[in-house]
Amino acid sequence: MREVWVVGAASTRFGRLAETGREAATRVALEALDDAGLDPRTIGQTFVSNCFGFAEHQAHLGPLLNTALGIPETPSATIESACSSSSAGLHEAFVHVAGGFADAALVVGAERLSHLGTLQATSYFAMGADYPFETRNGATFPGLYAALASAHVRRFGTTSEELGAIAVKNHANGARNPSAHFQKEISLETYLASPIIASPLRLYDCCPFSDGAAAVVVAAREAVDRPSAEPLVIRASARAGSIADLQDRPDLTGLPATRLAAEKAFRQAGLSAERVDFLEVHDCFTIAEVLALEDLGFFPKGKAARAAVEGTTARDGRLPVNPSGGLKAKGHPIGATGVAQVVEVFEQFNHRAGRRQVPKTEIALTHNVGATGGSCSVHLFQHR
Amino acid sequence: MPGESTTIDGFRKGYEEEHRLIGRRSACGFVTATWGLVCPRCGKRDLAEVELSGRGRIAAITVQTVPGDEFVNDAPYAYVLVDLAEGGRISGWIAGTAPGEGPAIGDLVQFVPSYRPGVQFRRGDDRDAGR
Repeated sequence: MREVWVVGAASTRFGRLAETGREAATRVALEALDDAGLDPRTIGQTFVSNCFGFAEHQAHLGPLLNTALGIPETPSATIESACSSSSAGLHEAFVHVAGGFADAALVVGAERLSHLGTLQATSYFAMGADYPFETRNGATFPGLYAALASAHVRRFGTTSEELGAIAVKNHANGARNPSAHFQKEISLETYLASPIIASPLRLYDCCPFSDGAAAVVVAAREAVDRPSAEPLVIRASARAGSIADLQDRPDLTGLPATRLAAEKAFRQAGLSAERVDFLEVHDCFTIAEVLALEDLGFFPKGKAARAAVEGTTARDGRLPVNPSGGLKAKGHPIGATGVAQVVEVFEQFNHRAGRRQVPKTEIALTHNVGATGGSCSVHLFQHR
Repeated sequence: MPGESTTIDGFRKGYEEEHRLIGRRSACGFVTATWGLVCPRCGKRDLAEVELSGRGRIAAITVQTVPGDEFVNDAPYAYVLVDLAEGGRISGWIAGTAPGEGPAIGDLVQFVPSYRPGVQFRRGDDRDAGR
């Protein structure tokens, strides 16, 4: 297996895109290639994620993207795995490059949903759930995570103040990120005064509906002469699944796919959680950050909710979590989210993160969940 | 009425039109009310169709104030995961529940025949527990 590097990265600002998803995807792809100092013709395969392209009357984005990049003959594929689509795309790119099927690959994610309005966007988000057996039984997407939260609250006594501390932390990080959807700090009082969306989750527990696009270029070490930026070595690229519907899982206080993907990733890298300097985890809702930190093995079950209250996971804490602002504040353009986490790691490793720069950047982990954990990706990156 | 659980629409017709809950019991004892061809727990294919009582206790609950498009006029309402008396878990909804006033985890619920979408429950009482 060849060593695979991330050699270039780019992202739009998340929030409301004036351009189409197709335009944004193409622009960030070219920016990532320029960041890598690579000609588009070095790309052996393009993986693109655009879950709700049909909201813009568009499928089969790959050939459009490659044509607009001047590489119409390069193969492409659309990778869909709900909210973990573009981390699944990164995994495919890793497999292609590590296995010698391509020397370099492009991973692009883009989403544009803000023009749909809240009701339609809520329905689109719910498409990651099981339509006949969850959605038609009344579940909304926040409702499914809220159901998990209710079980966590019941078993471990998790409080609104603890969940609120995660929202406050991630908004504080987003306020330092010029690419974030929400660049605004909030107080715990503001959090507690916000309306219930799906009890126990409030408005400020939920990520926004964001537009955005992000891209990275990955390449085999031997295919890169002189990297123009400090490359990330992909030490592990792991995916796992679990029973799709919440009601059929034995335990409702965690996501089994996160546990499985993390075990695989740490085994692949020969690393332990103690070695990780900072994380970008899937915090579509505040409770999801709690579940992630517990299932990834950074905290015992029932103990992660205290971490934000105690400052452990703050940008300047012992283990910075979501220095970008996370899905919660940076935003969650579904198909772009997974690869955007890697863009953040790239920025941090290259000391380009400005006011949100974390102090230690030797090893980082990204964690990206599809819907309620039917699919999950965990990647580990190390400084060259 | 064997074979209704062989299609997704068979489950739906069961609760929405015939007002009964169908489930499947796997060789390993796992009971599910979700469609499938193979048991997700043991990997065996012999799934016997069983009629479910619809009585159970809440395993997880949320009261949703922002509904999906098939429940636009129902918010706020509760979405529940219910541990059924005969084993297995099913999801459904409870009409007319406001945040802070709803039932809680561990409370009894009972499936109610309804012409609305999905599996609908009502809050249960001692009679449901005794039956």
